[in-house]
Amino acid sequence: MEKEPEKVIELVNVRKVYRMGNEKIYAVDDVSFDIKKGEFCCLLGTSGSGKSTLLNLMAGIEKATSGKIIIKGKNIIKMNENNLARFRQRYLGFVFQAYNLINSMTATENVEFPLVFKKYRPKRRRKLAREMLIKVGLQSRLSHKPKEMSGGQQQRVGIARAFVAKPEIVFADEPTGNLDTRTTIEVMELIKQMARDNNQTIVMVTHDRSLAAYADKIIHILDGKVQSIEVTERDKQENMQAHLKEVSKKLLLERGGEMTAEVPEEAEKESAATELQEEAETEGTISGKEGKAKPGGNAPEPAGRNATDNRE
Amino acid sequence: MRISDLMKLAFRNLLRRKARTALTVIGVVIGTISIVVMVSIGIGVNQSFDETIMQSGSMTIIRVQKYGSIYDDDGNWIGSKEQVLNDSVVDQIKGIEHVKAVSPIINKYIRLESGKYSSGCSLYAMDCEVFEAFEFPPLQYGSYPTKENPSTIVLSPESMQRFYYFSGRKSENKDIDPLTDKVKMKFQEYQTHPRKKAFELMFTDIAMMEQTDNYEYSYNIYMDLDYFREIWTKYANTLTLEDRKKAVASIETYEEIKINVDNVKNVSQVQDDIEKLGYATYSEMQYLEPLKETSRMLQMVLGAIGSIAMVVSAINIANTMVMSIYERTKEIGIMKVLGCLVRDIKRQFLLEAGLIGLLGGVVGIIISYVLSHLINKYGSGIMGSIVGTETTGALSVIPFWLPFAAAAFGMLVGILSGYFPARRATRIRAIEAMRTEG
Repeated sequence: MEKEPEKVIELVNVRKVYRMGNEKIYAVDDVSFDIKKGEFCCLLGTSGSGKSTLLNLMAGIEKATSGKIIIKGKNIIKMNENNLARFRQRYLGFVFQAYNLINSMTATENVEFPLVFKKYRPKRRRKLAREMLIKVGLQSRLSHKPKEMSGGQQQRVGIARAFVAKPEIVFADEPTGNLDTRTTIEVMELIKQMARDNNQTIVMVTHDRSLAAYADKIIHILDGKVQSIEVTERDKQENMQAHLKEVSKKLLLERGGEMTAEVPEEAEKESAATELQEEAETEGTISGKEGKAKPGGNAPEPAGRNATDNRE
Repeated sequence: MRISDLMKLAFRNLLRRKARTALTVIGVVIGTISIVVMVSIGIGVNQSFDETIMQSGSMTIIRVQKYGSIYDDDGNWIGSKEQVLNDSVVDQIKGIEHVKAVSPIINKYIRLESGKYSSGCSLYAMDCEVFEAFEFPPLQYGSYPTKENPSTIVLSPESMQRFYYFSGRKSENKDIDPLTDKVKMKFQEYQTHPRKKAFELMFTDIAMMEQTDNYEYSYNIYMDLDYFREIWTKYANTLTLEDRKKAVASIETYEEIKINVDNVKNVSQVQDDIEKLGYATYSEMQYLEPLKETSRMLQMVLGAIGSIAMVVSAINIANTMVMSIYERTKEIGIMKVLGCLVRDIKRQFLLEAGLIGLLGGVVGIIISYVLSHLINKYGSGIMGSIVGTETTGALSVIPFWLPFAAAAFGMLVGILSGYFPARRATRIRAIEAMRTEG
């Protein structure tokens, strides 16, 4: 690395405390890390580990109790609601697990929506929205309403909406949580591709270890604390396609097999290839739906996964 | 957000729940109709009272007449008495507080002739200095008499109309134009001395009042009191000796003393003061006061009924907005996360509420015009029996400002009742909102 890329997001001793009666619950406890420009960062943790809360704090949707969250050189904890809204317009995009599209609007209108807040003229924003939808492969669904589309298509609309204003940072909260394996791969590749094209920073929250393989940096979260930070260095420019293919293939293999029998990261793909099944199982991802950020919550997680996390 | 986008979004949201929007709008329509129609009836009734008052002379006028009427405590006429009205009475009345102007009046019935046509009318001789204080109408031509030039005779438009001529079985009518036709006047009260030429006065120096609703200034002829005394003396000289004395004596006392009070509110007080001096008085006020009271009451009751309907529709709008916000909680959450300013969310809901109000207001006004028309066409008899007088004018009058006021009021009601729901919408927290179903 010749030149150190700028830090886009910097967290310093961030805490989020919930009060439940007399009990204090530390959803996010003294977390510090930073994310560089153009990085694909994954917050990995079990259900209730506080990773979603952390994402919400970074996006300014929730207020941190203490600490500093510096995005683009500004401490967003100090911002009022109006400035936060403007900040989101300018720098942030969002992809959600539940898509969060507006059901009364067509795909194009949904994608246009962030631009409406940015006061774009109708003609210009319509054009941008259409281009974006074509880019995510929905040219035949421009004027369909969300209810008339499949989950994967809805999430593509969601991605188009997140990227349409060309934000520097896109937050994705379990973006594939409601999708089957094949669609998951498509959606992940799409996000990765889009981010790469514009050198955008992605912060993704997931509980799924295999999805984390897409990331450049994996931050393991447990009980509101950062357990470890794992940085995968790659020659990004050249091996992008190969890397994506590799990760996707592995993902398909894993999902095809038993969830508990997780293949270790460096396992040989050939051995697993024989177990490839056409029908992708999605149970694992569905059970991982994030509820309220309850640290130490004991949501049913596959035992193997916890074991993997603890290994770090 | 751009205003056009806010508008578009608001319309779209209203159209999403057509039935609910329509019902809420109907609520406002009913509210607007009740206010507009009620107010218009109030105004109409008031206006016909005012017309009645105008026709019967000014409300601030008190008269002390030669044959004063006596009333019992309930206001019923029980008889009359003859009162001696002379200059000392005039001076006493001038001293009373709130009296703006006082004039003694001599009233004679005169004969008018123009060629072969003739007519009759009342001549009023008054102090020319108080013409202005008695609010005489503007003149079509000429000028009112002054002390320097007292000989002007002030004509009223209708005094010159329908002069008649009888010849055998035929009768003819003619409207006289005193500027081109020669007109002369004669007194008729007494016998002319057989050897003297009958008294005549040619109308040379004249002024003509404009047509008004006030009958006093429509039929009568006015002149200055001093000038009248002058011509009356000339007239008296043409009479037989016996009549001459009577004639001279007849103008020593006045037929009437007319008083103008500075304010309608003080009329009854001045009237009481004059009666304390021992003179019976008369004013239009004493008849119209109770009617005015009824009209005021009616207006208040009608206004109250209208307001109740509007309050109900305001609650209705608030309810609709609250429901709408519940339904759209998730949407609000999404909007917030996508960078919508709190201000814009608030504006959007206020705009929706305002649109409901405005739409209801406009539709309500249109229907109100139709209803107003129907009331004027068919309702006159019914209302007449309630108010107690058969009104001649329109019963329901919608003045030009009322539709604008009603539309603005409708919108205001909408915005006011949308305010708290809108504030509630802005307080919804984004994460929780996005978790709700919808």
